[in-house]
Amino acid sequence: MFKTFFFGELRYSLRQPMVYIFLLIIGLLVFGATASDNVTIGGAVGNVYRNSPYTLGQYTSIMTLFGLLMATAFFNYAALREHNHNFNEILFTTPLGKAGYFFGRFFGALILGTVPMLGIFLGMIIGTYVAPVAGWVDAERYTSFTAEMFINNYFLFILPNMFFAGAIIYGLAKKFKSTVISFVGSLIIVVVYALAGSLTSDIENETIAGLTDIFAISTYDITTKYYTSVERNTLSPGFSGLLLYNRLLWVGIGTIILLLSYFSFSFKEKSKKVKKTVEAKVVKPITAFSLPKATSSFSAKTEWLQFKSFFAVNFLSIVKSVPFKILSLFSVIIIIGDFVAGFEYFGLKSYPLTYKMLDLINENAEIFVTIIVVFFSGELVWRDRGSKINEVIDATPHTSFTSLAAKAISLVGIASIIHIVLIFFSALYQLLNGFTRVEFDVYFLDFLYGNFPLYMVMSGIMIFVQVLLNNRYVGYFIGLLLVYGTRIVFSIIDVESNMLLVFGGPSIRYSDMNSFGPGLKGAIWFNLYWMLFSLVCLFLAGILWNRGLLTGLFDKIKHAKKNISKPIIAGFALSLAAFITVGSYVYYNTQVLNTYRTSDVREELAVKYEKTYKKYDGIPMPKITDAKYNIDIFPKERNAKVNAKLVLTNENEVAIDSLHFILDDDWETELLIPNSTKVLYDEEFGYVIYKLESPLQPEQSLAIEIKNSYTTKGFKNTRGSASIVNNGTFLNNGEILPSFGYQKGGEISDKNTRKKYGLPPKDRTPALSIQDTTLLRKNYITDGTGDYINVESVISTTSDQVAIAPGSLIKKWKKDGRSYYHYKLDQASLNFYSFISADFKIASRKWNGIDIEVYYDEKHPENVERMLDAVQRSLEYYTKNFGPYYHKQCRIIEFPRYASFAQAFPGTMPYSEAIGFVIDLENETENNVVDAVIAHEMGHQYWAHQLLGANMQGGTMLSESFAEYSSLMTMKGISKTPMKMREFLKYDHDRYLRGRTGETEKELPLYKVENQGYIHYGKGSVVLYALQDYIGEEKVNRSLRNFLAEYRYKSDPYPTSLDYLRHLKKVVPDSLNYLITDLFKEITLFDNRLKEASYSKKSNGKYEVSLQIESFKIKADSIGNERKVATKDWIDVGVYADDAEKKLLFEKRIRIDQPKMNVRFEVDTIPAKAAIDPRHLLIDRVYNDNIKRLKTTE
Amino acid sequence: MSHLSINNLSKTYPNGVKALDNVSIELENGMFGLLGPNGAGKSSLMRTIATLQDADTGSVTLDDINIFTQPEELRKVLGYLPQEFGVYPRISAEQLLNHLAILKGFTNGKERKEMVKYLLDKVNLYDKRNKSVKGFSGGMKQRVGIAQALIGNPKLIIVDEPTAGLDPSERNRFYNLLADVGKEVIVILSTHIVDDVRELCTKMAIMDQGQIVYQGAPQESLDELKGMVYQKIVSRDSLEEYAVNYSIISNKMVGGQPVIHILSETDPGNGFEQVRPNLEDVFFSKINTANTLV
Repeated sequence: MFKTFFFGELRYSLRQPMVYIFLLIIGLLVFGATASDNVTIGGAVGNVYRNSPYTLGQYTSIMTLFGLLMATAFFNYAALREHNHNFNEILFTTPLGKAGYFFGRFFGALILGTVPMLGIFLGMIIGTYVAPVAGWVDAERYTSFTAEMFINNYFLFILPNMFFAGAIIYGLAKKFKSTVISFVGSLIIVVVYALAGSLTSDIENETIAGLTDIFAISTYDITTKYYTSVERNTLSPGFSGLLLYNRLLWVGIGTIILLLSYFSFSFKEKSKKVKKTVEAKVVKPITAFSLPKATSSFSAKTEWLQFKSFFAVNFLSIVKSVPFKILSLFSVIIIIGDFVAGFEYFGLKSYPLTYKMLDLINENAEIFVTIIVVFFSGELVWRDRGSKINEVIDATPHTSFTSLAAKAISLVGIASIIHIVLIFFSALYQLLNGFTRVEFDVYFLDFLYGNFPLYMVMSGIMIFVQVLLNNRYVGYFIGLLLVYGTRIVFSIIDVESNMLLVFGGPSIRYSDMNSFGPGLKGAIWFNLYWMLFSLVCLFLAGILWNRGLLTGLFDKIKHAKKNISKPIIAGFALSLAAFITVGSYVYYNTQVLNTYRTSDVREELAVKYEKTYKKYDGIPMPKITDAKYNIDIFPKERNAKVNAKLVLTNENEVAIDSLHFILDDDWETELLIPNSTKVLYDEEFGYVIYKLESPLQPEQSLAIEIKNSYTTKGFKNTRGSASIVNNGTFLNNGEILPSFGYQKGGEISDKNTRKKYGLPPKDRTPALSIQDTTLLRKNYITDGTGDYINVESVISTTSDQVAIAPGSLIKKWKKDGRSYYHYKLDQASLNFYSFISADFKIASRKWNGIDIEVYYDEKHPENVERMLDAVQRSLEYYTKNFGPYYHKQCRIIEFPRYASFAQAFPGTMPYSEAIGFVIDLENETENNVVDAVIAHEMGHQYWAHQLLGANMQGGTMLSESFAEYSSLMTMKGISKTPMKMREFLKYDHDRYLRGRTGETEKELPLYKVENQGYIHYGKGSVVLYALQDYIGEEKVNRSLRNFLAEYRYKSDPYPTSLDYLRHLKKVVPDSLNYLITDLFKEITLFDNRLKEASYSKKSNGKYEVSLQIESFKIKADSIGNERKVATKDWIDVGVYADDAEKKLLFEKRIRIDQPKMNVRFEVDTIPAKAAIDPRHLLIDRVYNDNIKRLKTTE
Repeated sequence: MSHLSINNLSKTYPNGVKALDNVSIELENGMFGLLGPNGAGKSSLMRTIATLQDADTGSVTLDDINIFTQPEELRKVLGYLPQEFGVYPRISAEQLLNHLAILKGFTNGKERKEMVKYLLDKVNLYDKRNKSVKGFSGGMKQRVGIAQALIGNPKLIIVDEPTAGLDPSERNRFYNLLADVGKEVIVILSTHIVDDVRELCTKMAIMDQGQIVYQGAPQESLDELKGMVYQKIVSRDSLEEYAVNYSIISNKMVGGQPVIHILSETDPGNGFEQVRPNLEDVFFSKINTANTLV
């Protein structure tokens, strides 16, 4: 009996096209991702093969979400086939076995559901063999397959996920006999998945996150998060650890659900709960039929009434429906879940700003409401048929367009309702948190600019798709594909015009400083464009919608003329005309007035650029030795005018006969170079060469003038640059001037792409060397275009704004309604500085003759006082431990959140509004990331601005790692417990370990770091913190102080990391000399583990702790191959007083000389937990197993 | 006086089934019965007239409205009750009728309300007007369907198997209503129940396999068969034999014994007795021309 139904199910469905359509689509997606550089699902980069086990694992787990849609279709069909065909009463009265029927169908559908997922394997296999042959991707990017890859992925992801989803959907379908409920069931699965994901996003709860993930997607991410390239290329997901437990858990739950559903399933029809309307038999006298007089009329008013009536019927039917109620409830639950998770930022929370709420709402709305609109579009279009009232409705004299438009508007209506509910809860949350700056106008405008048009566009298009395709499920699929899939397709064929991507357009992002920002104008036009497109779709749908009997597309087109009435033609023509008009205007703005280059074009240009001009790389160039700027900023128009008078000096040993510049497309540039002729102007790249009439001799100088202006014209295809904006203009010197000489930055960096175009491997950061004197004359930031120079600027802006340039303010005046500021540097500084203009409030404080200033937006006063403190604290520590501060001011300047970083320029530190200014620090008494970032940037005032590494390996260690160290020391100074620092450093450990998994070239030891963030920030912090713990803070500071003293403001030569190690060596005791090698010169990891931990009470009232530890030291090479090495290291062991590990009770540093050791020590009070390396000083891929709860051995 | 003219209508479905085969009918005000066995093409014809389906060839006109080129015009004067009449969930009878009345162009709210009330009263649902239609019994739903077909004095009313699911008293009530309305307008009543036609219709047609096999007044059809129908109670075993020797038009069971009707211009003797032809005889004689046992 089981076999009958099992194979029956397979036979039936394999004859249907659906399974093949799904298979094809999934196969194509993965094929594209495997065989084309333009498609990425997950990440296969650099050293990871495009078909590695890791890549396959990622594709599989991601595709699972698509699989859910299929599961719904298959299991729902399987469960309800008899029911839908009204065959149930016949079938169920035959003597068939319940188990055979129930499970036969289920497992049939289960196997079927996994068939389309095999498209992942097929796509990858075919992609692997086709791409190299077709010449799309180099054969070297692929590895060979193992059977294990496919088997494990199938049995770890595909089958269990399908099983779990299937059990729920099948159960629901059997119970409720409603397709709608089944769909809601699958939505709930998605929602629960998302909810669990959002609640457990912090690294604190990884194990919980890993277990609660229904699909094991994040579980796989967690188990592989520290995988190196080698591991990614060789290890398939395995039946072990967290992944296995997760799978057992969910398959178990799935089994229980399936069994419950089996036992509650019965062939007997449940007596339907119909509220029987009992009829009172009143026999009324039969009177003649004479209908009261009523006249029908057909005019525009009729159409309007019909529209309203359709709208009411559709809208109410959705609002009253169970799925809508459930979905609304879930959207609210999700957003509340988001509230609970808060706006986590390195352990801190942001204030519930309106724009933060908007981010949440929009994130939810985009996914959630999309689902709702897609789902209910099918529901509305097919509900007349489903309710069997279609013939009556169809035979009434209304135009199909009216009916479809009402459906579309109903969809917009329900989406808007959910949106408004989310806004309501968001505002409520703000108020409950005591945050009273609830900006309803911002909520409203954001809705108007973003989601409302989105809903309009989606609704129209989805209805069109449903009408066109005649099949609800195919309609869903194609609809979703249209919204999301087109992006993939267009990226393959290199189309980037937002006029072709459904609802494409410039992004808008609300900023407290700059409101909706530079993308707004374009976004509004694009919205209009897409809404008209949607209207055209709707008219087409109205024309193609066939009444009565459903026919194929050809018949629809053939009979379309029946649906065409004069007003419809007029409406269609009018909307088409409007669409074309607006489209033309958008086209004019985005393709003519402004242009853009697609990624393929950019890539080809970069290749051409390198091939043409690489010959000029490294030619002798003069350095900028003095700079005077006149800058006028026009924030409202988003324009800027720059006049720069530069002195160039030839510091080479040879004469220079020509000057090379690269002009920026966006700027209008005029170069005034005395006694020179322009000998080359390449418009494509903006490359210009001026030949000097008399060559510039060594040590000789030349004054040039550059006039540069930026004019904003119309709007662009994307948001474009956010440097010059209405409030919060932020430019650096590199942006306002053309580049000097050939720029390596313009080259393609991805090694595989370079290979594709036949380019030689990219020059790496020059090797670390203290011999190469030419290299030692260039630092890694300005790369030979300038050293420490004096800068003077006159900068003007509108009178309501403040403009800031480097140095002290000499003079300030007003002229013609504009404010002018004259700034001058007090100390020759790096040729690297910023110009800023915005409507600021200023808080200031004087410390030892230095002006500490915070320029902030009036909406963000909360943390200003603490920022002043943080700056002062840094100054105190740094002046005491490193040396004097040479500027007369320390400025922190807020800029809009189009970027979220802080950056250090001489005496000036622009700081994004997104970090720092909006973080709630009210209850923070100790170190926090806001202070840390300030201390880091302040650290750069020394490490980068007083001492800067030569442009070679290890350069960034001297600035970034040291700034991190400086920052950590100020943090440590105010930390009340050492454990607080562990909490803080956790992020650095994670940054390093995660970062190295994404390495595309090779991982280098710290002293040879090649501007790799995860190394110079992440590892740098961890390593230097450990160093000061081992040798002492004062010794490290002494080495830094001496190092700084030797190289302060010195550019001939610039220092290297070897120079620092020379100073370090002087302070490190011989016993710890191995640290220099382990921490700086090699890639060292530890695998420490606490095997057993127990304590017993001693007769003297103390407690003896006994630990069994295991410790391996590991050396890794640049691609992650590891080998264990002998240990002779000092490592801490200790116990905590509490389970939360907040209080370290006892700590002892012991020498580890064999992998397994036993340790004993006495403590005064009962310890809760014990650990090896209790403060997490060492880099350990799995730190959790270092800690254990102590057992008592009485 | 309206005039509906169906000319040479043919329709073949993609699967090869000939739903309509050169159908031509002329109709004027009054009740018109369309008789035919299941699958004869009645519903296809109804749907075609109701603008819900296309024909391959032929034309249909109501007065000066060509329904294929001006479906909108026809819909303005059409009342249609399809064979399967379902309703939206979560909507009351009054709301539904009101919605449909708006769709039929009744823009004056007050008039519309009156009309809906009147119709609800006429189909005996006035007390239930605020109840969800979805919870109605089959018969009550059907009455809602009837009420909506009568909205706004249509010139052409098409009712497809309207009495399915109605109890006898409701059926009576409905027929009275239809007869009342049918005096003024064209009513096409499709059914496979011969009695319905006999009771109500002044004209009728019989359809089989997509063709009109008979068209005329019920009485005329009876007259045609006058004196030609004979009946006999026979034994089960001898049925085959009779089928060979006589043109049997029908056989049915009466008290457990087969009673056969045959068509014969002369007295067949052999125990057959002449009976007055009824409409059923007409029906079977028209569709059972092969004289097989049915």
